[in-house]
Amino acid sequence: MEKPVTGSKKVFMTGNESVAWAALAAEADVMFGYPITPQNEIMHYWARLGPKYGRKFLQTEDEISAGFTVCGAVIAGKKAFTATSGPGNTLMQEPFSMAEGMKLPTVTVIQQRGGPSSGTVIYSQQEVTLTTYGGNGEGHRLVYSTASNQELYDYTIKAFNVAWKYKFPTFVLGDGYQAKMREPLEIYDPAERGIELIEPTPLVGVPGQIGVDREPQHLCNIYSLEEELYEAVMHLQSEYDRISPEIVEYEISFVEDADILVVSHGVVSRSVDDAVEALRAQGIKVGSFRPITLRPFPTQALLDVLGSGVKKMLLVESSYGQLFRLVRQEIYGETVPIETLFKPGVGIIDTDIIEMIANMI
Amino acid sequence: MKLVRVALAGEGGQGVQSVAEIMAEAAYHEGKEAIYIPNFGLEQRGGVSIAFIQISDRRIGAPKFSKADIVVALSRRAMTRTHTYSGPETIFVYDSSFQLKDGDLPSQCKRALDIPAIEKSKELHTRVFNIIIMGAILSLTDMVAVEAARMALVKRLGYKFEKNPELKELNFKAIEVGAELVQKQSEGGEKVCAATK
Repeated sequence: MEKPVTGSKKVFMTGNESVAWAALAAEADVMFGYPITPQNEIMHYWARLGPKYGRKFLQTEDEISAGFTVCGAVIAGKKAFTATSGPGNTLMQEPFSMAEGMKLPTVTVIQQRGGPSSGTVIYSQQEVTLTTYGGNGEGHRLVYSTASNQELYDYTIKAFNVAWKYKFPTFVLGDGYQAKMREPLEIYDPAERGIELIEPTPLVGVPGQIGVDREPQHLCNIYSLEEELYEAVMHLQSEYDRISPEIVEYEISFVEDADILVVSHGVVSRSVDDAVEALRAQGIKVGSFRPITLRPFPTQALLDVLGSGVKKMLLVESSYGQLFRLVRQEIYGETVPIETLFKPGVGIIDTDIIEMIANMI
Repeated sequence: MKLVRVALAGEGGQGVQSVAEIMAEAAYHEGKEAIYIPNFGLEQRGGVSIAFIQISDRRIGAPKFSKADIVVALSRRAMTRTHTYSGPETIFVYDSSFQLKDGDLPSQCKRALDIPAIEKSKELHTRVFNIIIMGAILSLTDMVAVEAARMALVKRLGYKFEKNPELKELNFKAIEVGAELVQKQSEGGEKVCAATK
């Protein structure tokens, strides 16, 4: 069958559309989903494009079901994914917890909307806590926070590979702005960029006789004994710690001599870039740190930057401190004063940040 | 060119979002950076529809903005809905047919410009109302060349143009008419928001 994306080409499309193309290019087999704004068009495009390339789609009766069907499909050895937002993300925490417990390579795209509850259908960065640490577990998940339609494409492809390589539930954390805006990006066949797609394999019904050819596949999400659960969670934690250094990603700019370090993630980091550039032009020593992986967090990289003489930090986010809490727990013991610009559920533009920094110096 | 920001607002069915998309796509095909994002709150079901467009030579930061270079309000309630996007450097465009009351114009703008687009579209064809508006916007900035806008129109409506070549001429004519309306109104002198309040 022909490839959905051959070579590479420039396009002008929405973030949702770019996710659907990326999932096709990543050879995803099936999407399960339930409609919710602002992610609907991921489903729409997938449902329209997928069947042309032999891919499947099922609209389930709700998000809980969408999450569990994804779990089932990956157990059966299919590259499966879903996409949701806001209250849908809340409902999916139960299947995501199972995916954590059973180490399932699920892929989920979250397009954050305003909360709590149905909140707005528009935009926020209020699903950071939920996506990184939601569920009744220890947050053994991999979470990429994107800032553009290009990154939605790049990291959706990457999410499938990382999920199947490391076998942890993997998330692409976008937002309503990225979902709905059109901007230029390049879509490409991963092979053209030297990206080798990892083949999925079934987690049950694998060949060989148990005890003779192989160990039993122990996919378990409930244990009779406390000690059994303890062992299982400790094993997950040590696996997570082992792979984290290979996974962490971040972006830094103008940090070498920065007095003030602005920390942000996702689409807000674009405004930070503009603000830093404008302030630098005025001779103000500002730099920026942007975690791309929120789980695992690029702790050492941030500590290194802070250790190079940063006098103040500014935390900027479209929520009331969800990134701030994440950062603070990771840099516990640091004494750099932190100021904050929290705008839950609304966009942040460069002048907001410039004004804030003018008050800090 | 420097960054140009446009907020285009109107009622559902006035073609606000499609004309925004055509302009952004035209800029993209000219090799510029472009972002177009609709407002897509619950208000889109029976409220004012707003399109945010930004075009630049350089990478664009935030997808939305606080003050626009041009605000276009295609209904009276769209005028008040878009006050927030009008600042001291903004050209605030609205239709000449609106019976304005105190408070309809924003408190801040560089220039308040009314054009008789609704009336003119009745002469030309009501279907091209939004294209007249596009012509007006294009004549107010250098964000997109008319030729690029024509190409984007053909790309979008090519299948309709093939069936009915007159439609193509009608659309191209509408772009010109929009520019003429701006030109004509400008000859009468420029209004500012404070003076017209």
